[in-house]
Amino acid sequence: MLLLRQTVKYQYLSIVLLGLMASGRLTSQNASDSELTAGHVPMISGGAGYIYNVNGGVPTLEPQINPVLVFPFGQHVLLESRTDFTGFFQRENQTSGPYKGKVFKTVEYAQLDWLANTHVMAVAGKYLLPFGLYNERLEPIWIRNLQDSPLTATIGTRTSGAGDGLMLRGVVTQTANLTTQYSAYFSARSGIKQLESARTAGGDLSVFFPRPRFEIGASWQRFLQGHRVNNSATYVSWQPAAAKVDIKAEYDYSYYGHGYWLESAYRLDYPSLPKLFRKVQAVGRIQELFPLNGGGNGLPPIRTERVDFGVNYYLRDDLRLLSSYGRSLSSAQNANVWNLGFTYRFMIPLWFGGKR
Amino acid sequence: MKLRVVHACLLLVPLSVFIGFAQKPGGTAGKPQQRATSSSRAPSTDEGGLVFKANCSRCHAAPMSFTPRTTGTVIMHMRVRATLSQQDEQALLTFIAP
Ligand code: HEC
Repeated sequence: MLLLRQTVKYQYLSIVLLGLMASGRLTSQNASDSELTAGHVPMISGGAGYIYNVNGGVPTLEPQINPVLVFPFGQHVLLESRTDFTGFFQRENQTSGPYKGKVFKTVEYAQLDWLANTHVMAVAGKYLLPFGLYNERLEPIWIRNLQDSPLTATIGTRTSGAGDGLMLRGVVTQTANLTTQYSAYFSARSGIKQLESARTAGGDLSVFFPRPRFEIGASWQRFLQGHRVNNSATYVSWQPAAAKVDIKAEYDYSYYGHGYWLESAYRLDYPSLPKLFRKVQAVGRIQELFPLNGGGNGLPPIRTERVDFGVNYYLRDDLRLLSSYGRSLSSAQNANVWNLGFTYRFMIPLWFGGKR
Repeated sequence: MKLRVVHACLLLVPLSVFIGFAQKPGGTAGKPQQRATSSSRAPSTDEGGLVFKANCSRCHAAPMSFTPRTTGTVIMHMRVRATLSQQDEQALLTFIAP
């Protein structure tokens, strides 16, 4: 009975997914030429996808949909919220038997933004913690180049990846050559269902150089409940204009461990190449994690290294096929990790609401 | 052996940068199209174009088409996410939906 219910849920998820893809195409085709000024109509955007993952020989099916509600009130106030529906389906005996599993629902953030001016944007509600490059920027399924999160992803993002409270962010200074950005937040402890968060305070400061398209930044967080610890991250991100490379690297430090990841993604998008190759993206990532004080809290208890290679194929800028191979190396176990699947980004204007 | 694998992979980064620079990028990352337009304006080199090129592929593949009704909504959303200035927002709006 449970199995049947899960199968039905799973089929339902797939149907919604296909429906979304179709509706995305329809809305885009229905937009008429007379609508060519920037409208501020509310929308549901987000990502959807399906990943077939094999980790150490154990296969998992992961269908996902992450709808994002983006609802502007005028041009200075924005309501935004993302809910994640992810299914985890594994075989009954790990490598044999029928697939069984569950769909998990998580409200990842629900926040009200006040875009006061260049220097101050105030955010209230449940917001994604701005720590390092990953949590706020790269986590959505349609953005991440490799589907598995970095080993350091739980540093600075405990307990739920989000904070409940207030955040200020904005541009400190901007010239033609550089922009300095900041964010600072305080989060209260909450155990309320779908609003879980830890008591933390922290911030991020980064400098972006638009000409070389290079960014360097640092995040800091004080974890203010239970065992009080400091977490920090330093990161760089570079998309040189003269090459189709995207390089990102981060080093994270916490009481429970420290480590780095370094990722480079390369698009073969050159007119001299046949069209087939121009849609290919090759990705490589290396990482190492060194536990401290026994690790834990999301970090492995023993030193772990991991290498990943991926080839993604962009059918369109919003739809891509994914494949990757990774090898995780530690003194306890070496394992191969395979991922195969697709991701899709959708944007559906809500029918109500007017144009500017 | 394990470290050898890791260090061999470190080579991947300079190698991909090298290959990237060695190739001549053609057809500058053009202007995104508002969906359902047939008019293709020449790629702009104005401020909005620079903001778009420098910023919109920092985190994800730059979207190459927009549903006109939600362009303002998206830019507002990205202004918060990417901590863009008010000036950047205006420049982007002029660039994408003049
Ligand atoms: C700092 C990283 C970052 C930068 C820079 C950035 N984006 Fe995004 N973008 C995101 C993230 C993260 C999401 C997904 C939002 C979510 O899931 O909550 C997103 C979502 C989107 C979407 C989907 C619709 C939506 O609003 O959710 C579009 C379209 C988009 N971005 C366009 C742009 C454009 C145009 C630019 C350049 C001005 C840009 N992005 C710059 C991180 C970024």
